Amino acid sequence: MNPHGHDHARSPDAGDAMPSYYEIMETSVRELLVEKQLISAGEIRRMLEVMDSRTPALGSKLVARAWVDPEFRARLLANGRAACEELGISFFEDTQLIVLENTDKIHNLLVCTLCSCYPREILGLPPDWYKLKPYRVRAVKEPRAVLAEFGTVIPDDVEVRVNDSTAMVRYLVLPQRPPHTENFSEEQLASLVTRDAMIGVARATVP
Amino acid sequence: MTQTENLLQRLPTEMGGLDAGPIQRVEHEYAPWEKRCHALANVLDIHKIISTEEKRRGVESLGSEIDGALTYYERWIVAFANILFQKQLLTPGELAQKMDQVEARWSRDLQKERTERVRA
Repeated sequence: MNPHGHDHARSPDAGDAMPSYYEIMETSVRELLVEKQLISAGEIRRMLEVMDSRTPALGSKLVARAWVDPEFRARLLANGRAACEELGISFFEDTQLIVLENTDKIHNLLVCTLCSCYPREILGLPPDWYKLKPYRVRAVKEPRAVLAEFGTVIPDDVEVRVNDSTAMVRYLVLPQRPPHTENFSEEQLASLVTRDAMIGVARATVP
Repeated sequence: MTQTENLLQRLPTEMGGLDAGPIQRVEHEYAPWEKRCHALANVLDIHKIISTEEKRRGVESLGSEIDGALTYYERWIVAFANILFQKQLLTPGELAQKMDQVEARWSRDLQKERTERVRA
């Protein structure tokens, strides 16, 4: 335990309590790097704004567009990063994006066994369970059991493909468009695309 | 295969395929300092000061005891400090001094806020 005996990481609304040892370290490292002109305070502020703008809603928009526009879908599957950039989704890391399409025969699942690589540009920061050991170790060994724990049962005749992310290659799942949505607008379709569907632990919501 | 040979087969974070319990479906709202820590990581990566790979290795080299005791972003900031020391961009002395200053500054601000609240 740190000398202050409390932990902001676990209780972000500590209010008027002193920041934790690690929060003091974060501020100190950042301020020293700014003083040494290795980075600037403005860069951090702008990066925080960019990060706040990245939520699963961006991914939902991307998927809905791919569902209604076959040409966009083809471009998205051919080069994920370029297709995202068409929709104004910029990348701040030097990474490739591979979009994986779920079909009647293939179900894709994302994991990062080594650490926590995730398509942050499109989905924002990952949920804790994605970074914790049980998901990381079991997703590659018994994906069907893991999926079942999320309430997603994949029939035996559907192949499950587990995609292990790296610092250089990130993935995003293009879920299947749910049935009976022929008359849905693009916006209505986007509302069916959850974060978990784009990680592959769930299907798109059936309306 | 002997037990020690077995250990050589895997780095500490190379855990894919091991056994583990049920998925812990936990999520938390990221604290402001955690987001700042992440923004710092992205900016350091853009400036090629600390790459994503270096960050991961930095976290790995903290060892399993620290790994188990610290939260995700606590591990990150400690790893960043270590890497910056290794690259001689910061010294441990500088950081210790700065942390004392930051702590004193926040403590003063907190005291001031409390006093103002009592008056109000």
